[in-house]
Amino acid sequence: MNKEFKVLAKPYMVWLSILVFVPILAMVLISISNLDSSVSVGELVISLNHFKLLLESSTLIAFRNSLIFATATTFLSFVFGYFIAYEIKLSKFKNKFILLTIIILPMWSNLILRTESLANIMSENNILKSILGFNLFGNISGTWMAVLFGLVFTYMPFMILSVYTALEKIDFALEEAALDLGLPPIKKFWKVVFPLSLKGVVTGSIMVFLPTLAGFAIPKILSRGQIVFIGTIIENKFVYTNYNHGALLAVVILFFILGSILLLTKFDKEGETLL
Amino acid sequence: MENKRATLKDYGYRDFTVMNKIYKVLKKFFVVFIIFGLYISIVVIAIQSINESRIISEFTNVSFKWYTNIFQEEELMQAIKNTFLVSGIATILATFLGTFFAIGLYALGKKVRVIWMLLNNVPILNADIVTGFSLMLMFRLLMVVFPNIFGLFTLVMAHLFFTIPYVVLSVMPKLKETDPNLMDAALDLGVRPYKALIKVVIPAIKAGIFSGMLLALTMSIDDFVISYFNTGAGFDNLSIWIYAVIGRRNLTPSVYAFSTLLTLFTLIGLLTYQFLQKQKKGKKNEKNNINGRTS
Repeated sequence: MNKEFKVLAKPYMVWLSILVFVPILAMVLISISNLDSSVSVGELVISLNHFKLLLESSTLIAFRNSLIFATATTFLSFVFGYFIAYEIKLSKFKNKFILLTIIILPMWSNLILRTESLANIMSENNILKSILGFNLFGNISGTWMAVLFGLVFTYMPFMILSVYTALEKIDFALEEAALDLGLPPIKKFWKVVFPLSLKGVVTGSIMVFLPTLAGFAIPKILSRGQIVFIGTIIENKFVYTNYNHGALLAVVILFFILGSILLLTKFDKEGETLL
Repeated sequence: MENKRATLKDYGYRDFTVMNKIYKVLKKFFVVFIIFGLYISIVVIAIQSINESRIISEFTNVSFKWYTNIFQEEELMQAIKNTFLVSGIATILATFLGTFFAIGLYALGKKVRVIWMLLNNVPILNADIVTGFSLMLMFRLLMVVFPNIFGLFTLVMAHLFFTIPYVVLSVMPKLKETDPNLMDAALDLGVRPYKALIKVVIPAIKAGIFSGMLLALTMSIDDFVISYFNTGAGFDNLSIWIYAVIGRRNLTPSVYAFSTLLTLFTLIGLLTYQFLQKQKKGKKNEKNNINGRTS
């Protein structure tokens, strides 16, 4: 490409440098100082006072909940998502686009509305019960099962898409070679197909893990406020305009994200499996 | 002495028929379960949209009154308008800017590009809550200079921040695929670089631009977390409005009607696109066949 077009990237470099770094720097600054709407710059004091928040039991419980649910959700969507992606790849149905559309279509309706209607049918008296005559989900509203179900089926499409992208790129000749050399189909899968699709699995896992870890709307709606995630606490701090505490917790989440990005760049340099 | 005959097993053959059968049954069960999980909420929304009663826990009668009622719900209409306004502006700008940014980044050469692509991926990978919260803090610092900044402006800025990367990301692979000679040929024929860019490169990466636009629109329309933190002055989009209303427990069933309509339109749009694509392909094949025969 013509070198002249380098100029076109300049505005984006400025834009990215400002919008990636300035908000995060502001967040870090606010998390370690007394800066809020009432303090002027002259009275700014750097202090680690807010760090006490991290040792409060409610915060620790929230972190534990977030981590457990994020891990479980990632694992379950990996199991189901990989299975579906693999089945789509294997399917004799020629039009893969339609199959993928079936997977993605639910994502086009509003997430909050979907979650709310899920929460409705998980409660004791619901619209499905009045039609079917029995309770499809039992009465799991407010329990961990409700939250897990909602999280897994909300984020699984991301896993399916990235795994499918990786699976699709595998050269069929490699699989044929493995079979020719005498590997049974199961071993062929574990020794050839799975390692080659690992890139997609890593990307998919991150795309499921991070939003689950930091989410607040789904757990809040599905657990009826019973199960507190770290995101729920941040939201509360935001609502009560305690930005210092909110910023501190967000900084902690940021560290998890940095770790994931480092992991991702090991497997996928330019983020090709992100789409 | 009796010769012991070698069985198939001695040759390393293993019988997988039983396992295959089990797998097949499990497979069907799994597929049904996953489709159920993905679609149950959509189905429930559709059922609730045709439920005559306003009470969400019982189904009384089939009625389409909530569909006609959409336009009478002022708050809902306002939220829908805001959503389309923000997403429309953000998508158009992001598609336009993202395409040119991607071309610029591509021209940088691989080494420098990798670094900027990493930064480009930050908004995509970063958790929504961190992006939303930190942008909010930055805008709040700007409030000293511009007191009424929160509202449409901050929302569009925030949406641009996370939609441009998707456009860049989907245009980039197409740029890599295009023949570098294409540009050179155009230049050799005396076209000025920027004209060549518009006449030659852009048509070649059209598909990437289009898919980037769709992605940007999808992400923008469905966004809740980032919008939630960055809106202000009562400028609610649909997600924020629903989130606020379900706290008060009186969501109008017209929301379900609107959502169902949107799902149907998306489905029809996708199928039409697919149909057109197929026809185009068919025509191309026909052409190729004819060419093949004559040459």
